[in-house]
Amino acid sequence: MCEKELLVSYLYDDLRDTDRARFDTHLHDCAECRAELNALRGVRADLISWSPPQPDFGFRMVREPSISNNAREPEISNVVEMTPRSGRPASWRAWWTPAAGLAAAATLVLAAAAGLARIEVHSGADGFTVRTGWSAFAPQSARSFGETGAPAALPGAGGNVAAAPQTAAAPAPDGVAPVGSALGVDPSVIAALDRRLGALEAATREAAPFRNASVSNARPSDAEIIRRVRDMLAQSETKQQGELALRIAQVIRDVDAQRVADLTRIQQGLRGIEASVSTVDAGHRELTNYILTSARQK
Amino acid sequence: MASSDEELVAKSQGGDLDSFNQLVVRWERPIYALAYRTIGREEDARDVCQETFLRAFRALKGFKGQAKFSSWLYRITLNLCRDWIRRERRQPIAQAPEGVDLIELASEQTPSESIEDLVARKEISQAVARAMAGLPDDQRTAIILKEYHGLTFQEIADMLDCPLSTVKTRLYQGLSVLRRQLDREGVGRNHV
Repeated sequence: MCEKELLVSYLYDDLRDTDRARFDTHLHDCAECRAELNALRGVRADLISWSPPQPDFGFRMVREPSISNNAREPEISNVVEMTPRSGRPASWRAWWTPAAGLAAAATLVLAAAAGLARIEVHSGADGFTVRTGWSAFAPQSARSFGETGAPAALPGAGGNVAAAPQTAAAPAPDGVAPVGSALGVDPSVIAALDRRLGALEAATREAAPFRNASVSNARPSDAEIIRRVRDMLAQSETKQQGELALRIAQVIRDVDAQRVADLTRIQQGLRGIEASVSTVDAGHRELTNYILTSARQK
Repeated sequence: MASSDEELVAKSQGGDLDSFNQLVVRWERPIYALAYRTIGREEDARDVCQETFLRAFRALKGFKGQAKFSSWLYRITLNLCRDWIRRERRQPIAQAPEGVDLIELASEQTPSESIEDLVARKEISQAVARAMAGLPDDQRTAIILKEYHGLTFQEIADMLDCPLSTVKTRLYQGLSVLRRQLDREGVGRNHV
């Protein structure tokens, strides 16, 4: 081992006893090595002052339960970053599972497109009907008008078809002109569309009589409502307790991590003090030696 | 009593995400510190820190425990830092403000430390950051691992795939350069 390697090992106190003793002897005789050792100890003490900032991390691995097939098997595709507590570097976005984002974006685009194109989809006895564009405006207007002018004219399929033209042609209450007329649409077209609408509604009612019945008969009693509210409250309390426990665990972990970091800093500080002391000590020793040598010479 | 890294790694390998998160909490600060001191940018160091844990999680099945978990993390971090430096095609940046903000400093002041001492400490810190940024990568890495993470010479040699003597040489050369640089700036202790 060359002297510089020995010097570094001695500097970091990582030497066998025999090597240490040998280097001690060398240091005693070599002022240059002694000075270099002290200088490097000083550099080490200065290095302690450089500490990194303490960011608030707050990112954790979380699993998306809806995608995972096996609860015990972590799949990285299902693991995403949890909400950071502060800041948001650009790359954090990359942790977000792209599939969910794409699905949300696609839904938004479809919804916007449907809104612009005024797409309507109906199903009835004559199959599915899709209407797009501004043509959808007329039946909508006609329906509004029909309901306003003659709400009692739609009890069933049979009467509805007959009543619709009359409803469409009748003047609106309060002297308001019919929307279809105001827009210059032929009343016969409106009547035909209203007939079609009535037929569709009747078909819908016939197709789901039991569902409507169940809805109307399923009004819960007050006791049932109170019981449900209590259940919801209990669930909410349980959830809050769980979240509280999670937060407490997080705080404990943070405190523990901080304690470890503090201990490391304290150790580094002690090392610096030790280096300073040994530097001063070496200076004193040199001074003492010098005085002794001078005294001896005198 | 806190679980050891080995226990948490074993549980994580068995699918326990909470155990892996405990490892994240335990090691995020040292990993961030390593990344920050290596590349010198706060935001990028945080990205490297997150990427380190993400890669570690992906590769967890393949981790057989030949090395310590922390050494494994350090190695991943250093690889990512190396990629960052190569990608950015530049030296690490000493991200230290030019001036000294006394108001900001006052909040960091310890009860036993005068403001003059604090300013001096800040100046030394900035000078060290600049001097470290100017070091060659291998010397800087050796110093960081030894000084700030307390690794043994052998652990550093294993991590950097180089002989023990090379680690010591890099340390000696790096410390000597720092000594000259700090002397030139006239800060810190008298290194002469």
